[in-house]
Amino acid sequence: MRKTYGKLLPGMKPSDLAGKLIVVEGTDGAGRTTQINLLKPWLEELGHAVLDTGMTRSALAGEGIRRAKEGNNLGRVTQSLFYATDFVDRLENEIVPALRAGFIVLTDRYIYSLMARAIVRGMDAAWIRSIFGVALVPDAVFYLRIGVDELIPRVVFSRGFDYWESGMDVFPGHDMYESFRNYQAALLAEFDRLSAEYNFQTIDASADPKVVFAQLKHKILSILESDSRKGYISKLHERPAAAPQKVEPPMAARPREDGARELNLLFQTAAAHRLGHSNGNGNGSLHHK
Amino acid sequence: MDTGNMGIGRIGPFEVFYPTQQAVPPVRQNGDGEIPGRLFVVEGIDGSGKSTQLMLLHKWLESKGYGVVFSQWNSSPLVKDTTKLGKKKKMLTPATFSLIHATDFADRTERSILPLLKAGAVVLCDRYIYTAFARDVARGMDRAWVRDLYGFAVKPAVAFYFRVPLETAVGRITAAREGLKFYEAGMDLGVSDDPEESFRFFQGRIIDEYEKMIPEFGLTVVDATLPVEIQQAQVRQIAKTHLERAKNLRVRP
Repeated sequence: MRKTYGKLLPGMKPSDLAGKLIVVEGTDGAGRTTQINLLKPWLEELGHAVLDTGMTRSALAGEGIRRAKEGNNLGRVTQSLFYATDFVDRLENEIVPALRAGFIVLTDRYIYSLMARAIVRGMDAAWIRSIFGVALVPDAVFYLRIGVDELIPRVVFSRGFDYWESGMDVFPGHDMYESFRNYQAALLAEFDRLSAEYNFQTIDASADPKVVFAQLKHKILSILESDSRKGYISKLHERPAAAPQKVEPPMAARPREDGARELNLLFQTAAAHRLGHSNGNGNGSLHHK
Repeated sequence: MDTGNMGIGRIGPFEVFYPTQQAVPPVRQNGDGEIPGRLFVVEGIDGSGKSTQLMLLHKWLESKGYGVVFSQWNSSPLVKDTTKLGKKKKMLTPATFSLIHATDFADRTERSILPLLKAGAVVLCDRYIYTAFARDVARGMDRAWVRDLYGFAVKPAVAFYFRVPLETAVGRITAAREGLKFYEAGMDLGVSDDPEESFRFFQGRIIDEYEKMIPEFGLTVVDATLPVEIQQAQVRQIAKTHLERAKNLRVRP
């Protein structure tokens, strides 16, 4: 059964959250977004409904945080709590309903980034842990780890240095480069500490994105293999005359076969993929239909 | 300076913080030397008359030459638009209601309350963390979690609680205003579709929480059914004892 790290929010029933919660973590520029953009269509192709979410995307606080960051006068405690508001809004209104509906939720960062940022800014670790104790324990945390030296060229040659990504509020150096190095190194150290505590699965993010993708697919398939709903789905498949399954929403995007059959096929396909990848060729091809 | 050995909690940039958990070692009281300012806060349900009392205290302190600054609940320029959006669109759950108000309070603490106290001002707050504790718990949030959340707050010199029977407050509110707002009346709890009935139920729960907090946080109880002048005399008398040890606060003689 699904759990939270601490307190339970009012009205939340963790027992009926059948979906899978998969976290992709890592510092700025580690390639999290790239990987999520690859994982989502892949999972959908396998037949899974996917919700992807990430920081500051909440309907409630996303815009407010963006505005507050423009002025560079956002205090450290305020910042931590504004992000916590954004997180809990998405937890209650996106993540939990999606898990209840059986979705795979891919989240670009989770509480760990927020905790690392707060702790690096000098917040009390017990305080920040208590606040984020309301978070659900995910099925997996993939930590895309990259050293500061590999990170710098990625940032310089893509979007340049950003005030907040350089931790200018906490490491005001002579220039953004210096601040960036100090800040990201402090974040990395904090992530490494959190890694042991929260069972991160570390992936070397300095590798080619294709290789990273192949590793992520392999690990995700093993999570889907252990899905508790598998037995239920196979049982449905054993009953051939599944007439009620024809009830479909009229606006279905594409013609569907019998739902149970499709889902079962999905798991067979998933198993096949898994075998295919266990021989170590991480080329990521998926099109053996 | 490492304050860890002195039994002083530390969250972020603050040297003082509120002793919300039993396990936390005793903390230095606000006003015992290192922070020269004084923080007075007023608490109570809507219609208890606390804002009137604070306004009168404000006038008196100014007339005595103190540098006084007033801070209102829910007024941070960075955060209030988000709170407004959440309330207007009814997007707030008990958890996000709690968090967005804590965010607002954090901004006011970091930006004004703490720096002003360090600068030696008398800071007056209309509602403080006890409002959050009462409302959030009345909405079903965990007591300990909400207390942890506000662990960064500066402990006030005096927290006045204006105690008033529910019926008196309801009478004052309904006579003075046209209609009750959705969250103010606790309509989000879904107890009743009638705003006045819902308000009564919600404020009743809030009173229960305040009563529990009197011994927990040492709130100073003022009987809010007494005439305004008598209440104010009590408030000034108590405030005075906390200002005597801080004569240097005066901005002019």
